[in-house]
Amino acid sequence: MRMASGLQQPFRNAVLILVWSWLLLLVLVPNLLVIAASVMTRDAGSFLSLPLTLDAYRQLLNPLYLEVFLQSLYMAVMTTLVCLLIGYPFAWSLSLMGPRARILLIFLLIVPFWTNSLVRTYALKLILATNGLLNQGLMNLGLINEPLRLLYTEGAVIIGLVYLLLPFMILPLYSVFEDLRKELLMASHDLGAGPLATFVHVIIPLTLPGILAGVMLVLLPAMGLFFVPDILGGSRNLLVGNVIKNQFLDARNWPFGAAASIFLTLAMAFLMFAHRLSKRRIGEEGA
Amino acid sequence: MKKLALAGLLAVGLTACSSEEPQVLNLYNWSEYMPQQVLERFTDETGIRVVYTTYDSNEAMYARLKLLDDSAAYDLAVPSTYYVSKMRQEDLLMPIDRSKIEGFDKLDPELVNLGIDPENQYSIPYLWGTTGLAVDTADVGGEVTAWEDLWDKRFAGRVMLTNDMREVFHMGLRVLGYSGNSTDPDEIRQAYEKLSELMPSVRTFNSDAPRMPYLEGETDVGMIWNGEAVMAREVMPKLQYVYPDEGVIAWMDSFVIPKNAENPEAAHKFINFVLQPEISALISEDIGYATPNLAARDLLDKSVSNNRASYPNATDMINAEFQQDIGDDALQVYAKYWEKLKSGQ
Repeated sequence: MRMASGLQQPFRNAVLILVWSWLLLLVLVPNLLVIAASVMTRDAGSFLSLPLTLDAYRQLLNPLYLEVFLQSLYMAVMTTLVCLLIGYPFAWSLSLMGPRARILLIFLLIVPFWTNSLVRTYALKLILATNGLLNQGLMNLGLINEPLRLLYTEGAVIIGLVYLLLPFMILPLYSVFEDLRKELLMASHDLGAGPLATFVHVIIPLTLPGILAGVMLVLLPAMGLFFVPDILGGSRNLLVGNVIKNQFLDARNWPFGAAASIFLTLAMAFLMFAHRLSKRRIGEEGA
Repeated sequence: MKKLALAGLLAVGLTACSSEEPQVLNLYNWSEYMPQQVLERFTDETGIRVVYTTYDSNEAMYARLKLLDDSAAYDLAVPSTYYVSKMRQEDLLMPIDRSKIEGFDKLDPELVNLGIDPENQYSIPYLWGTTGLAVDTADVGGEVTAWEDLWDKRFAGRVMLTNDMREVFHMGLRVLGYSGNSTDPDEIRQAYEKLSELMPSVRTFNSDAPRMPYLEGETDVGMIWNGEAVMAREVMPKLQYVYPDEGVIAWMDSFVIPKNAENPEAAHKFINFVLQPEISALISEDIGYATPNLAARDLLDKSVSNNRASYPNATDMINAEFQQDIGDDALQVYAKYWEKLKSGQ
């Protein structure tokens, strides 16, 4: 390595410069701009003006927004739970399959990403509509007589979010299941634990890091995907992301929109911090 | 460093090359508001390629234009009346060179030289229309004749409103007997209270394609733009367009050229192209809104010019009110109540 480093020096520097300028330009600067916008005054003509003020943050305390936040959190939590309930067994069985089937399934999981998520959400609309595919199918099968009211409801928003975010739950779970050693399960069996005890005391603790990672990858984006309620939701299914978008585009209250998105970022940071703490604890317990 | 500089030169060279490519017109318009045919014919005739970008509210269009003011992202936009005056007053528009425009004199005299742009220095009328009631007569028994009827409990969960703050409040204000252009905070608050009684019945808001929830069978009654109603009736003849007793909401959308447009030449050509009677007639027939072009009206198919949804008669327009600019202060009051309304307070 040391011998080669002389040659690789310029390359390494170039990569470092690239990475750092990327982070600086596309992460640090935009975030600083958002923070700056959040402490300025709303201006009808030029969006933002001086003096500096914390008014936008004060506005966040309005019970109206607390309600939107709680509703948004509720939909995000439901989405996460459904993703976990589907994703956990899916990832598990994936890890038990032969290499060919495994590659095929992972491939199928990733294929939808090649299509824009907005387009896929519109497609979902065609399926869920009163005279859409799902209702027609169920009625043809004779399972229901009246079409179900699915579109423009909270349920439709959750279905949409689950559909878009499920892979983000499965992939981290799959990676922990892949590392799950069969010997540990056999040892558990040899020591007299039944399937349920093995599941609760061995499998769940060992896959916990994957569960937590999946929960974080689903819960937080779920609060921000504003186009899902825009397309599938009813008159009142708002996410925090909708409030932010409306502030920037419709109400033109940029300081408030910026403050709301900082609030969301902080909530995200808090969850990641909690995740780290719990990971450390799991690590200690494991040792 | 030398290599970097070289890369920079290369980039400059590339952009220089691109100016020799065919011309492009960046058109920023409402969704489904210009037939594809028209764009294709324009490209065939002039060689100018049209990039069509859409918006679903004046607010969104204004924010984008204002934000991208310096980067000259759009050459032509189509704001509604009250945004024409707002954008004109904020110096966001480029004067239109009338010497390059033919056919302005054929426009309906009642729709030019309005208060929003006296002399029409900055705007050329494109289409006008109304926002009225849509009633799916297959599912709704009994007469629906007024905005007030939407408050009827039998429509719970079956009502659709446009996702347009001004239109929804216009309806609320008219039901209470006020002007749809009210700037009185007290009247706006009363309208909000009236509208919040309607909210439990409202299934969804849609300004992207307001005919869709009716076609999907999700909603039976509510607001719709007349052109959308005409388009919807082609597949769903039972959908009726009703002029409400309290008065329909009237609006007009006009072509404007953003101040920093990159290709104002192409924008003028496009306006000119659309003003041809034959093209204006084709647009009106295809998307169901009324053309302000009197020469085009003579060319319209009888089934179109006699369609009351597109071309209302005098009785339909009783109590009708044109949307006007209400100023930023009143807009803030509307915005506050709009947000409260939509988050279900």
